[in-house]
Amino acid sequence: MKVGVVFCKCGTAITEKIDADQVQQRLKKLYPDVDFVTVDLACSEGGKEFVEAYLKDKGIDRMVISACSPRDHENTFKGCMHRAGRNPYLMQMVNAREQIAWVTADKVAATDKAVRYLDAAVRRVMLHDKLESKQLDICPDVLIIGAGPAGLKTALTLAESGRKVIIVEKTPVIGGMPVRYEDTFPKMECGPCMLEPIMGDILHGPHSADIELLTMAEVQGVVGSYGNFIVQIKQRPRYVDPHKCIGCGECTAPCPVSTKNPFNYNLDEKKAVGFTFAGALPNSVYIDPEACVRFKGESCQLCKDACPVEGAFVFDDKERVLERNVGAIAVMIGSEVYDCSRIPNLGYGKFPEVYNSVEFERILSSTGPTSGEIKSRTGKPPENVAIVHCVGSLDSKHKDYCSSVCCQAAFKFSHLIDKRVPTAKITHFFKELVVPGKEEFHLFHEAQNNTKTKLIRYGSIEELKVSGSGERISMEHPNGKGATEKTIFDMVVLCPAMIPAEDTAKVGKLLELTQDKAGFFDEMHGRMDSSLSKVKGVCLAGTCQAPGDIQRSINQGLAAAGTILSGLVPGRKLEIDPIKASVDAARCSGCRVCNSVCPYKAISFDPAKKISHVNEVLCMGCGTCVAACPVGVIKGNHFSNQEIMAEIDGVLS
Amino acid sequence: MGAKPKLSMYWAASCGGCEIALVNLNEKILAVDAAFDFMFCPCLLDTKKKDIEALPDGDIAITLFNGSLRTEENREMAHLMRKKSKILIAFGSCSSAGCVTALGNLSPKGENFKTIYLDSPSVDNPKGIIPTPHTTVPEGVLELPAYLDRVKSLAQEVDVDYFIPGCPPEPHQIWSVIQAVTSGKPLPPKGSVLGGGTSSVCEECSRTRGDKKIKELRRTFDFKPEPDLCLLEQGLICMGIATRNGCGALCPKVNMPCTGCYGPPEGVEDQGAKMIGALGSIVDVEGLKELKEEEINTKVDEWIRSIPDLAGTFYKYTLAESLLNQLKGRKK
Repeated sequence: MKVGVVFCKCGTAITEKIDADQVQQRLKKLYPDVDFVTVDLACSEGGKEFVEAYLKDKGIDRMVISACSPRDHENTFKGCMHRAGRNPYLMQMVNAREQIAWVTADKVAATDKAVRYLDAAVRRVMLHDKLESKQLDICPDVLIIGAGPAGLKTALTLAESGRKVIIVEKTPVIGGMPVRYEDTFPKMECGPCMLEPIMGDILHGPHSADIELLTMAEVQGVVGSYGNFIVQIKQRPRYVDPHKCIGCGECTAPCPVSTKNPFNYNLDEKKAVGFTFAGALPNSVYIDPEACVRFKGESCQLCKDACPVEGAFVFDDKERVLERNVGAIAVMIGSEVYDCSRIPNLGYGKFPEVYNSVEFERILSSTGPTSGEIKSRTGKPPENVAIVHCVGSLDSKHKDYCSSVCCQAAFKFSHLIDKRVPTAKITHFFKELVVPGKEEFHLFHEAQNNTKTKLIRYGSIEELKVSGSGERISMEHPNGKGATEKTIFDMVVLCPAMIPAEDTAKVGKLLELTQDKAGFFDEMHGRMDSSLSKVKGVCLAGTCQAPGDIQRSINQGLAAAGTILSGLVPGRKLEIDPIKASVDAARCSGCRVCNSVCPYKAISFDPAKKISHVNEVLCMGCGTCVAACPVGVIKGNHFSNQEIMAEIDGVLS
Repeated sequence: MGAKPKLSMYWAASCGGCEIALVNLNEKILAVDAAFDFMFCPCLLDTKKKDIEALPDGDIAITLFNGSLRTEENREMAHLMRKKSKILIAFGSCSSAGCVTALGNLSPKGENFKTIYLDSPSVDNPKGIIPTPHTTVPEGVLELPAYLDRVKSLAQEVDVDYFIPGCPPEPHQIWSVIQAVTSGKPLPPKGSVLGGGTSSVCEECSRTRGDKKIKELRRTFDFKPEPDLCLLEQGLICMGIATRNGCGALCPKVNMPCTGCYGPPEGVEDQGAKMIGALGSIVDVEGLKELKEEEINTKVDEWIRSIPDLAGTFYKYTLAESLLNQLKGRKK
């Protein structure tokens, strides 16, 4: 072992405070065998060549480099070690510029401090292990959970670059929430039409051969980690072969069973066989076994009889469990709306003319229960409509956050009501108005300038009290002039908070994703890495990560695609940095203290061997488990207790 | 008899439990007698200090030294036994790491004396007499061993060959050490811990363990613990996670949490710090994600306050050797 100290002067930035000669002399006294050399600018081309030559000529195999912040140049000097044929982990950097020269004004004190830092680094570097990075084969394929806008865009982008993609969608239809919206803010584009090019390409585009679309399917098991996940997918029977079905719909009319239509939020009925809505993709009917009489023992096959295609109906279709190998997983399972009946004064669920926003979207849609006609359940167009913003949002009793899209949806509703029922008066009740962006203010201005539309601010949602009997409902509300009024409305539209979808916890558990306090999936970093989860190889996009609009979801999906494309490259191996935690299996007592502390879910417990294990692909080397392990058998490579204690001893000596 | 190697057992500041542990070898004590000339043990035998002083240096094959160093006499005897013994073994928690006596290090000497000789409710000391090394009486000067400023472990005063942990060490472990020494096989490297494992008590504990998240700490008199579930997960501070194995998890077996008498696991420098580190990692503050930082601090403070005696819980056996102890430089 030959240790060399390279002291960079950084021009004069370091030496104007630290006396290099004195440092050399004092260090020589402490460590007569340690070599010492100064260099003017170690990071310059000449400097790097000098360092490399120094390591080779003097036979130095462990280097302490006293220079700037490791953030700046640790990799630069690791490169010197590497090129000189030395193990780059046998190097320790002292930040003499930022931590000494820039902050310690007194020259004597700065020099003294430098000696202590170097003493610490020399002690430490002598204990360094020759760490080697590892390489793993990877699978470049990708699993996408959720076929909403984010999922579809991500899938298509990945497929376009030649990746194999598996899309798992729980419902029989793709497109997510926006396919239910005939008009989307801010430009009143039709949701299904806007998504059609993507959906069409997914199903029949030039790259569709690389996309395996599994509708009516759910992930039920995941093992492995980044680069090599094995995913178990359960697919419910459709009872119709989607490749044979031509989507003509001849089968629906003869079907004798009608049942509530969940796609229209039970506002109307559907047949036991059929589409979720007209134009739904994939263009294939499905049978609802809960409703179909055939699954209740009857021999009905009217649908099959009406079908012009031989073999399209598969009555003995079975649930399938599929296994797929993927390198990364993108979770894009969307969201749902807050249950308005949790705010009882709004009368939701009690008065039929009180709707939530998604129900109202269906009323507005030509494929919805009223074929797009705005009318009350009695069939009359409304004369006076109340639209309530911030239902459950920005409310410490319900959801603390602003759901960010409700104001725009509300003004879109205003626009459409005004267009379709020109006589109707509209009142917006809001707590706060949120319409950021370069296009989003148009609908707001339109409502503001419309003489039939009023905007009234309320303080607390409890100030709005819906009451009434039969069709006549009235609402007690602030009148904007400091008093309370009671107004008769024949339709009340509530814009509830966007909340995580029901399956969020279930999917989270499968993938070991954590949820924030509102229940959305935790991202790696709110600003810098919002499309990554804390589990390596699992990306996030859309409203399962945070409330947002279509634009945000799509962009986040593209960001996820970018991360996957750059991280998992076919033919390239996954390089694993050796600065990881590892468990001494022979001495682990299996106490399981470490199991729950890992923020990256890299630790698992082997029940057969009764010991814990760190997955080196998932481990980020943070050291949390090293500190937590009460037996001291988890070692943080490059940050072992011995190395750290030696460093402390050096500083304090 | 002179042909047999000499065995001695000395007690410094100790309770006598270590001697009882030796006697708990039961009939195996005869085997000890057969193998050794058991020649010095103030608790059991009448040999005097002057007899030991008279021996040539290194004449005693093995000395089992129990008790910590509380007084000048303890210190003096430590040096004497070191000089006269080939193998000096720190026997039990007190001599290994200070044990309960070292908790006296939390207060200065004067304060300890005040509590012991003046303030204690059972003390009747109207003249307020505090013991001193020299007391003059009409008949002359009386001498008492001086009270050291701080309690030391044996190794903090003299060179120690081996350590046998436990309060007291388990008889089967004592037996295994005696067997190892008498077998003639090469002895383990100097400084080794004998009669203990290299993992933690959990390895020997049969209770079921799961992921640990501890909402609330409880004490043994608060409830009746589930017989098969990890005691720590039930809210009892069981030091087993941060304690060297070898005892057979005796305390958890009878529903009592481990108090840590076998000391830190192999390679762990500070048992209390390790335990605190581990507990800090598994504190489960109710509704953490809903709380503001100050509220979390308050909750964590409450959690910590629910531990009645921090030093006595985490450093019951190891305070003398702890990193907190300013007296001792770390082992190099």
